[in-house]
Amino acid sequence: MIKTVFFTVIIVLFFYIIWINNIFAPHERYEMPAEHAKIAEDVKSYAKEGKQLFEQNCQACHSVRYDAVYISSVQANPKLQTLQEKYGKVLPRDVYQAVFHEDLMGLKESFGKVPPDLSTMYLVKGKEYLYAFTLEPQKVLPGTSMPPIMAGRPEETAKIIAYLKSVAEPSPEEKNKRVLMGVGTLAYLIVMGVLLWLWRGKMLKKTGLH
Amino acid sequence: MLGRIGRWIDERAHLSELWQSQMVDYKVPKNLTFPYAFGVMAIVAFAIQIISGIFLTMYYQPNVHTAFDSANYTIMKEVPFMWLIRHVHAAGANFFLAIVYLHIFTGIYYNAYKKPRELTWIVGWVIYFVLLVTALTGYLLPWGQLSYWGMVVTAEIPTSIDSAPIIGSLKIGETVSIWMKGGYEIGQITIGRFFGLHIWLLPLILLLLVSVHLYLVRAAGISNPEGREIDKKKEGVPFHPYMTLKEGAYVMGYLAVFFFFVFFYMHHFLPPDNYDPADPFKTPAHIAPEWYLLAYYTIFRSIPDKFLGFVAFNLSLVFLLILPFLDFSPLKSARNRPLFFIMFIVLVISSMALTILGTMPPTPTNAMLGLIFTAGLFAFFLALPVISIIEWGWYKARGGEKQ
Repeated sequence: MIKTVFFTVIIVLFFYIIWINNIFAPHERYEMPAEHAKIAEDVKSYAKEGKQLFEQNCQACHSVRYDAVYISSVQANPKLQTLQEKYGKVLPRDVYQAVFHEDLMGLKESFGKVPPDLSTMYLVKGKEYLYAFTLEPQKVLPGTSMPPIMAGRPEETAKIIAYLKSVAEPSPEEKNKRVLMGVGTLAYLIVMGVLLWLWRGKMLKKTGLH
Repeated sequence: MLGRIGRWIDERAHLSELWQSQMVDYKVPKNLTFPYAFGVMAIVAFAIQIISGIFLTMYYQPNVHTAFDSANYTIMKEVPFMWLIRHVHAAGANFFLAIVYLHIFTGIYYNAYKKPRELTWIVGWVIYFVLLVTALTGYLLPWGQLSYWGMVVTAEIPTSIDSAPIIGSLKIGETVSIWMKGGYEIGQITIGRFFGLHIWLLPLILLLLVSVHLYLVRAAGISNPEGREIDKKKEGVPFHPYMTLKEGAYVMGYLAVFFFFVFFYMHHFLPPDNYDPADPFKTPAHIAPEWYLLAYYTIFRSIPDKFLGFVAFNLSLVFLLILPFLDFSPLKSARNRPLFFIMFIVLVISSMALTILGTMPPTPTNAMLGLIFTAGLFAFFLALPVISIIEWGWYKARGGEKQ
């Protein structure tokens, strides 16, 4: 009995540390005021406005390919539409990079590297990092070529983050559906497990194997 | 009508006889404990990987330019329900390895590797090894930063042979490394061969090995928590329905835990850093292999000398393979073996500590701790012959066969 408890506890503890919350590994934390965190979370109300702000402030250098938003010079290029008719709204990366090579290399000349595509950036960095970095790039990542273009505009930054979240994550309705699916699946499995156990008890009693 | 079709088939294929002889007349010990269910859970996990993998190959593109987008756009956003399949496959890989580890430790605890089951153990070890390679090859395919840099680090490991005194001049390590990558860098050729290995060669080998493993379990009989061989005619219980329903209920519980992670907690199985496309010019801050390799990784990096580190982590794998021959005691199961039980605890704690140390930054203190727990791991294997000799003494003193 003691052995069972001991092994169960250390196994659960081990997987908790490895899979869920590794208290031993280093974590970087960034602060974000609650009111702005709320805006960045609220995809439904702010994603649309965030997209407009993105187009005004960020699109000169950054694309969001998964939302068919390309850098401004590409967006103005008539070739884009022809290509989109052929390949779909979201162009394959190699096609995009090959056809618009000159635009991207122009950016590389000014900044030292091609500014990254931001389609999945929300998932990679999280809203706190994006917020801190966009407002004060040099403070978070010294030596970066990203200009402090959003400095002093924290609310608008939060709205842009809401837009990036809307691209990277499933929509709130879709998320609700997934939660419902999850609850249904779990309920089914647990009920089936219990029924199997009860049925087994009955069957064993009948056959005298208990 | 259905019944008649069933009878028609049964008269020709004799399926009910097969069922009767293999499932009902097949007797197992009655006192099997919960950990014995890890075997059947591993089979379920394997089936889940195969099924979800088949669907993933339909949309995944093994190409350096499109691999990342096919995984994160086509699969996660475009095609309905493919997000679920990817979640199942990613979490499933971790669960499969977790269950296999638990299965291995159960085998060690109950001494299921001893005569007449040595071959079952050896085949099981090969399954484990092939499974690690399968996991490693699959990890590269999403072509994110972690995939790429994890493989850069892994492909570096064989080159540590080259720092050995004499054989180092042959540059075997570099050759192996180039052979793994298909060139001097990780690129299109690497992704192509890893895809091929991951989607059909390795799974087929696994399927074959798992069948052999299952056959051997049947041929040698299931081990017993009490460590004695049962008289199957007298005391065993029929596999069906006694075992099948019990393990069926356990499997439902396992699936419930698994699907909880699939739907509500994918943070570890699809880590944030891997949503960043692979970039050979940008090294991420923390590069470490996946958790199931971390124990070996910690052994490798705690030992100051690269070649010795390489030897040590391979030696731990070899010790695991030859376990049945290191432990030649007449007694079976940790329940009857207090000394073995103590060393088993040392093994469990060392391997867990080594895994957790692998997630921590490589400071001198951590390297020291790594060395201590490496010593603990090897102490288990090296203590086995000593324990066996002591236990032979006890066994003889008690008059041999009579227990």
